[in-house]
This record gives sequence, C-alpha cells and structure tokens, in this order.
Amino acid sequence: MAAAGTLYTYPENWRAFKALIAAQYSGAKIKVLSTPPQFHFGQTNKTPEFLKKFPVGKVPAFEGADGFCVFESNAIAHYVSNDELRGSTKETAAQIIQWVSFADSDIVPPASTWVFPTLGIMHYNKQATEYAKEEVKRILGILDFHLKTRTFLVGERITLADISVVCALLWLYKQVLEPSFRQPYSNANRWFVTCINQPQFKAVLGEVKLCEKMAQFDAKKFAENQPKKDVPKKEKPAKEEKKQEKKEERKSEPEEELDECDQALAAEPKSKDPFAHLPKSPFIMDEFKRKYSNEDTLTVALPYFWEHFDKDGWSIWYAQYRFPEELSQTFMSCNLITGMFQRLDKLRKNAFASVILFGTNNDSIISGVWVFRGQELAFPLSPDWQVDYESYTWRKLDADSEECKTLVKEYFMWEGEFKHVGKAFNQGKIFK
Amino acid sequence: MAAAAGPGPETEELLLLEKLLGLEKGNKYGAREERKIPVLQTNNGPSLIGLATIATHLVRQAKKEQLLGSTAEEKAVVHQWLEYRVTQIAGHSNKEDITIILKDLNLYLEDKVYLARNNFTLADILMYYGLHHIIAELTVQEKEKYLNVSRWFNHIQHYPGIRQHLSSIIFMKNRLYTTAH
Repeated sequence: MAAAGTLYTYPENWRAFKALIAAQYSGAKIKVLSTPPQFHFGQTNKTPEFLKKFPVGKVPAFEGADGFCVFESNAIAHYVSNDELRGSTKETAAQIIQWVSFADSDIVPPASTWVFPTLGIMHYNKQATEYAKEEVKRILGILDFHLKTRTFLVGERITLADISVVCALLWLYKQVLEPSFRQPYSNANRWFVTCINQPQFKAVLGEVKLCEKMAQFDAKKFAENQPKKDVPKKEKPAKEEKKQEKKEERKSEPEEELDECDQALAAEPKSKDPFAHLPKSPFIMDEFKRKYSNEDTLTVALPYFWEHFDKDGWSIWYAQYRFPEELSQTFMSCNLITGMFQRLDKLRKNAFASVILFGTNNDSIISGVWVFRGQELAFPLSPDWQVDYESYTWRKLDADSEECKTLVKEYFMWEGEFKHVGKAFNQGKIFK
Repeated sequence: MAAAAGPGPETEELLLLEKLLGLEKGNKYGAREERKIPVLQTNNGPSLIGLATIATHLVRQAKKEQLLGSTAEEKAVVHQWLEYRVTQIAGHSNKEDITIILKDLNLYLEDKVYLARNNFTLADILMYYGLHHIIAELTVQEKEKYLNVSRWFNHIQHYPGIRQHLSSIIFMKNRLYTTAH
C-alpha cells in the first residue's frame, strides 16, 4: 500500500521535490506543511515536539499517518516510492543508490558554488566559480556518456536515480547552463528535458524554463541580502535563528532564497566576515600590532597588550605541532609555519601569533601562542583555514594565569627559558 | 496478380495493438489489394481502411487518448509519424530505403526519447512494430552506428505489454566500435 503522511519543509525546497515527485509515481498521499501557521520554518522545527520526532531539526522531514518518522530527503523519497522507483532487483537498487549518492556528493557542491552567487545569496568568488564550472562539465560529461545508449539512468523506466539527479541539476539548468554551454551534452539534455516533461515531474516542478543566458553574479541583490545576515547574534551555529530574524525583518523576502543561502553557507567557502556575529571589542588588534612592530616588545608592546586585552572578546591559545618526529630540515619546518600563515591570510585582522621552531635538524618541535577573536578556535569558521590546524594540539590559556603571562612574554619576545620545551630556540615567525 | 491468402503484416500489428491496449478480441479484419491494406468492419458504421486509421480508432475505443498526443503540436507530430510509418516503412523495403530510414530516425531521435518528444504515443508503438523485423536483422556494428535508434528501440521494447511474441532484441550498452561514429 502506498505511504501516507505529512511532509514538513520550507516552500520550493528542491530536496523536498524528490519525495513529492516519487509520490506522484507511487500514489503516496503526502500533505505538505511549509507555511505558517502550520509550519514556520526556523521555529516549528526547533520546538521540543519536533525535535523529539526529528532530532536533527532539519527539513524535509516526514511523519507517516501511522506515526513513522524519517528525515533526510533521500530516505523520505525512498520511503514514499514504489518498487519500480526503488529498483526491484538488488543490482538495480544498488545502481539507483549509486546515482542518488552521486547527486549529493558530486553535483550539489559545484552546482551551489556556481548558482548561488547568481541568485545573489552568496558572494562571488571567481576562482571557486571557475572550478565549479569545470566540475559541472565533468559531471555532464559523465551523464552524457552514460545516457548515450540509455533512455534513463537505471533500467528502462524512471527511477529514484532520475528523480534525484534531475532535482540536483535543476538550478543549473534554470540559471546558468545556457544553450552553448549545454550543447555538447545532447544525451544528458535529452534525458533531462524528457524527465521534467513527465506529468509526474510537472505536477511538482511546474513548467521548467531552461536557461537562455548564463546568469551572472547579482551584486545588487547580494548587497540587498547582506545587512540581514549581519544581524548580531550570540552563537555562530544558529542558522535557523538567523533565518528567523531575517524573516521578521523582511517578511516579503522569498523564503526559498534564504534557505538556498543557508545551504550555500554550509557547503561553500564564505567570504563574509565570520566574526560579524561577535559583539564589538575594545581591544584594537591593529594598534597592538603597530606597537609590536615598531616599538620595544618588553617595555611598550607587552604592557600595551595586557593593559588593553579584552578577555571576553578575545582568547589566547597555546598550540603545539603534533608530529615533531616528521620534522627534518629546519627550513622545511619553517615553510610549514609560513605556509600555514599564508593559508590563514584572511584571519589576519582577527588574530595574532608567534610560532617558534625549537631544536635542530631532525630533532625539533614547533609551538606557538595565538590570540584570536572570540572564545572558540576560529579555524572551523572557514574552509580555507582548516588545512593546518588539526596538525596542532590547541589549549586555551587562562588570560589571568601566570602560565599565560609567561608564555605570552616568552613567545612574543622570542626570549626566555621556554621551560616546557626543552630545546633551544631556533627561529620564530610572527602572524600579524 | 492475386493477393496471397491470410492477413498481411499490418493486420498482425493491429492484433498486437489490440492486445497491448487491453481490448477484447472480436474485431474482424479484412485485407485489400496486393499490399494487404487492413480493413476493419465496424458494427455501427462504415468500414475503416488503413493501418493508421484503424490504430487510431482502436486507441479511442480503449479510451487511451493520451497515446494520440496531448497538445495540438503533439497530436500533429503523432500524425506525422503515423504517416511516415505507413508511407515509408512498407513491408518490403530494400536495403537502400532502410538505410535512409535509419539515418533519418537516428538524427531525429538524437535529442528525443520518444517520437513525440517527451511522451510515449501510438507513433512509438507502430514504429516499433514496423521496424522490428528490420532492427532484428541489423549487425551489432549497425546497431551501434544507429545508436539513437537503438536506444529508442530498446526502451520501447521494454514497455510493458508491447513486445508479446516478438523477439527481444539485444543491444550492447557499452560500445564496441568506438572509432565509428
């Protein structure tokens, strides 16, 4: 018997489309709750009742008429499907999962990178976009080759594989795959157009208009969207909260964009200030850096630092390289440090560090003292910053402790006993 | 020259179509002239002549009008291919005619899944029945040469109920002759 139940989502969510199209084929009866008062995205899915059913608090989420609950769009689509869509043999079922996974892992990330800036919901990054375009070409090439001898992705009928991959490609075909770009992929195009024109797809997607001219980054729209995102917030992972605030401020804004934006922010490198959510701090890092660069460390810079340091707005960390046994030539170790500094370039405004190489060739260690904006390690905030930090152990220092005072003094001055190290100072690098 | 006894190939097709559409048996068919054009004697009207005409009638009788196309354009395209089917794919096409037909179709089907673009229609059904004996004779290399026709044919022959006693034709999904077009 076909499934029946309620689907919670926000409006026009392409992930929810997968389940809705599958239901068109299977005859599953799905009631969609996507708008207030029944479902208020960002609020309803944060309530204890909702979280009890769906601990992740994400949508789409499906609640069966019999009380069965399931989240994650692919799982929901699978549940509301019929055997033909799921694949009736072990082999076809496996192939279907293969394409469903391919859509999530290979199509969605570059599609988001390329499309979201054109919708004005993510900042444009030329390098990232160009890379995404190449990825999209690769994906279309793979699909095109596969579909040269095939009508649908798996077997001779539409399956969940087609539904998932079409939905993942939907924004690309609507926004950026202009005729000249998609022209080499005639087999993929034929398949895509056939799918979206099936009555079951049309019932959910409506008339899909293929891109005529590649959309470009919409700076104006992006600027319009910006201020809303800079609303001060206390906690960084509060993405739903952000949405709520946004919604309250600008009720007319189409919600779809908001949500796409969140997905983008979750999936892609962001160029907006990741510290924007923190309250203003009286400690002026630039001023300290000026003192540190131009004046005596012991008599001017250090006293300035301790006089003005704001331990609520900033934190001090001790970091030690985890794999000292891999450090061979000292120049290579120094490159390791400077390389990390380069990758952290965008963090400069909000950090300061002194990192020191101790010891000699094949017998050295690296450790340093870092000062960051905020109380958490800044690295997870941006993908650019995540390359190196896991190679270090990080320990937050109590700014009032003697240990902290000593470490700051010794590392900032590159002088002292460095008692905890047990090797001689070799050379230091300053991140500023 | 007198026509040989027995129903012609087009009458056979209509019997396949009847079964596919789930119609009760009982229609009486005759055949005219040397080419054995099928004739259907209806109970309450004039007799119907010709493959396309009778097939269209059967579809209506089965109340499966969507097989004739939904939009005006789609209906026209279905008609176009029924006409092509009747005029171009006669029972005794020679090798040269067949080559032209396959070339035409291969080009047309490059960007389409069905003859009427996005939907399965009577055009696909009759074209499948009409081409079956031709496709069955093709070599692996020829099937690969007319890749779009092969893909279309393979898809159609998997349609539930269409194939019946006709042989299932094997197509390779991985190409062997990659140097050929």
